Amino acid sequence: MNIRIFLNLMLGGFLAVGGAPAAHAADKDTLVIALDTLGAQVMDPIMDTRAPHAHYHAPVWDSLVGFDLEKGGIGPGVAERWEVAADGKSWTFYLRKGLRFHNGDPVTARDVKFSLERKMSPESIASGAAALRRAVDRIEVVDDLTVRVHTKGVIPYFAASLSRAVFMEGSVMPKKYIETVGAKGFREKPIGSGPWKFVRSVPGDRIEYEAVDYPHWRGTPQFKRLTLLLVPEQSTRLAMVRTGEATIGSIGPEAIKEARVGGMKIVSVPGTMQAVYQFWGLYRPEAKGSPLADVRVREALSLAIDRQQIVDHVMGKQAQWPMPFATFRYSSDMSIPRWDDWARTALRYDPARARQLLAEAGHGGGFKLTFWNTALPGTPFMVQIGEAVAGFWEKIGVKVEVKTTEWGAFDPMTRGEQKALVGTASMYRTAGRPEPAPRYIGSFNSKGVQHLLGDPQNCPAICQDADRAYEAVVSERDDAKRAAAANRMIELVAKSWIAVPIIEGMGYWAVNPKGVGFFKPIPGRHEFGDVTERMPRPEQRPWP
Amino acid sequence: MQRYILRRLLQGALLLFIVALVVFTLARVSGNPIDLLVREDATAEDRAHLQKALGLDRPMHEQLYIFLTGAVRGDLGQSIRYRRSAAEVFFERLPNTLKLLPLAMAGALAIAIPLGVLAAVYRGTLVDRLAGGLAVLGIATPQFWLGIVLIYVFSIQLGVLPSARMGGPSHYVLPAVTLGVFLLAGMMRLVRSSLLEVMGSEFVKLARLKGLSQTIVIWKHCLRNALIPVVTLFGVYFALLVTGAIVTETVFAWPGVGRLTYEAVIFRDYPLLQAVILLKAVIVLSVNLVVDILYAYLDPRVRYA
Repeated sequence: MNIRIFLNLMLGGFLAVGGAPAAHAADKDTLVIALDTLGAQVMDPIMDTRAPHAHYHAPVWDSLVGFDLEKGGIGPGVAERWEVAADGKSWTFYLRKGLRFHNGDPVTARDVKFSLERKMSPESIASGAAALRRAVDRIEVVDDLTVRVHTKGVIPYFAASLSRAVFMEGSVMPKKYIETVGAKGFREKPIGSGPWKFVRSVPGDRIEYEAVDYPHWRGTPQFKRLTLLLVPEQSTRLAMVRTGEATIGSIGPEAIKEARVGGMKIVSVPGTMQAVYQFWGLYRPEAKGSPLADVRVREALSLAIDRQQIVDHVMGKQAQWPMPFATFRYSSDMSIPRWDDWARTALRYDPARARQLLAEAGHGGGFKLTFWNTALPGTPFMVQIGEAVAGFWEKIGVKVEVKTTEWGAFDPMTRGEQKALVGTASMYRTAGRPEPAPRYIGSFNSKGVQHLLGDPQNCPAICQDADRAYEAVVSERDDAKRAAAANRMIELVAKSWIAVPIIEGMGYWAVNPKGVGFFKPIPGRHEFGDVTERMPRPEQRPWP
Repeated sequence: MQRYILRRLLQGALLLFIVALVVFTLARVSGNPIDLLVREDATAEDRAHLQKALGLDRPMHEQLYIFLTGAVRGDLGQSIRYRRSAAEVFFERLPNTLKLLPLAMAGALAIAIPLGVLAAVYRGTLVDRLAGGLAVLGIATPQFWLGIVLIYVFSIQLGVLPSARMGGPSHYVLPAVTLGVFLLAGMMRLVRSSLLEVMGSEFVKLARLKGLSQTIVIWKHCLRNALIPVVTLFGVYFALLVTGAIVTETVFAWPGVGRLTYEAVIFRDYPLLQAVILLKAVIVLSVNLVVDILYAYLDPRVRYA
């Protein structure tokens, strides 16, 4: 008797549980993805706040603005195209013809209006709901396939905010259906217009979908079913992919080697994040005597870091040389070749020059530096990067006091007056997004959350310059002029050496090549919610 | 008897009140859930809106009042993460844990009793030392590590068992063994020491003088008496595991209440954490209360103590 059958028979007697004997490997018609988190696991685009919803909402709901699948950044979505009015205060979106929800109802401009208004409603806790409320004045249905959004001012990045390339604010929901079944009914039996239909959600365990039975504009799924599993432990996810119980599993860079040894393929998604370090409150009077107040010292600290070593050894060669702060090779509104060249030179490893700069600044004997080593949710490897950075600084004579701190304890210190952080450095992260400007306002504008260059009470020349540079970017409607303004904004920050990129991180996945064929991720989007429909069967496109 | 039961019920209610106060306070010491819900460039306005939407903008005493009055009515609030009733989320996961525990406990008992008996009967011999070593190993082995080793051997190398998750009967083997090994060690030690104590009793000497065989003396007369503390420990373990199978449930992606507790802590889901701990306290107190009442019924001295 087969040992598996024996075990099942034996256990079947003991257990008062249902279920067929375990078929350990997933069936060939089901694409199984093991994830470290399923977020809130609420099937309603207005009820989850963070990135995991791009795993489990994206299969069901299309987004008004989509992706540039090859390059990353934004591209056509439910809206085939869009245009901004001459005064920059309204955006007209032209929808695709023939789209329908899973119950057969057509997707119209009324659904788009309803969806955006629902996203902005008081009960919405979606990540960008507040930003949408600040931006949108009113929404006008022009005709069945045309919708116009009037904004409260000139917002050059409005279209991007409706793309899953950034967040989930553009999810298109079925107006008629939700009005009929109510919010509760919608959450229990959600429908959308995406390539996968919702089947069931088992809290804390999985979400199941089945493919639509008609050609879909995003790609017609090659598998009949899709299952997203919640498997919190990385070793277990790896085991499941290796045994075929899961087809794909999310992993961290530290597991890449183990996955390769186990015969799995690695898919790395470029440009999902940038690990940076930044200096806090250097504009404040109490930081005036700090060595960090001297730009030469800050540049020296960057030159002391061997980024290639970090890419090779901390990130297992699955990371890239960074671009300037919060910019990626798919970013729009900036000159990519210029900044790529800059980054390769300015962010080089040059400890001799670093020591020379320290000596010129009068700190040749080194100085004490407090460094908060922390990792934002979803990127625990930041702590290892931080340790490496501290090690490189020690090598040029800086006495680094490393304070490894859990994110939950660190984050509150970054708000308000940031008293505990003044004159110190910390690890930080920027998420992959197409345009740099929204990230720059948060970090460098005097009214921004982090206000690294100055606050309204203490705004030195560089802070005032940054405020003006940002205004120049967001108020410019001409694309070429806006790109030039963005280049100035990036240059200002890059030369301040106050927030300095370390490496460009990637999203990592272990793949069982017997379960799925070769596929490409979308640059900048770690989650596969918009990729599953284009994943081939293994025989359709074998792995190289 | 009625006065005794009433007194125990009142004590239980007071204890629950204290547990509620402690868990309410401790949950908030661990940090603000808003930090984990908003994106890193969220403005103060974004945070304020979310705080209001989740009812976290109210003063602390008001939040405590809402929690306590709600708890009395059986409403333990809405989970911040799942946006559903926290009690509903708990009771949804509880059966998953309850399905796993009997197998782990039965397996542990099936091995612990014979092993404990052998160790006691052959006290000081190699058998005793081997059983003792096994017990130390069982207690000292981290469940997390054991779980991963079992997955590696039985799922990856031999391919005979699934790695994780709930499913058919074979899905229960590895998590049950992982939990069971921990139980086995403690129980085996208790069976051994309890049996040694009973074996020295007068009635055992009498049984031997009567010419009863060693097997009858040990298995019929000694073991029955020696199992009383084991049964008590069994109850304690059951209550412990309902609340504490966190590691096993995480390694094996088992959607039970142990993992739910872990998730509630990690996501700072105050209402869920409060509900989980309070409901677990209710389970433990209920079991204890039933046991106490039974004791009081069986032994009148307890009632008047």
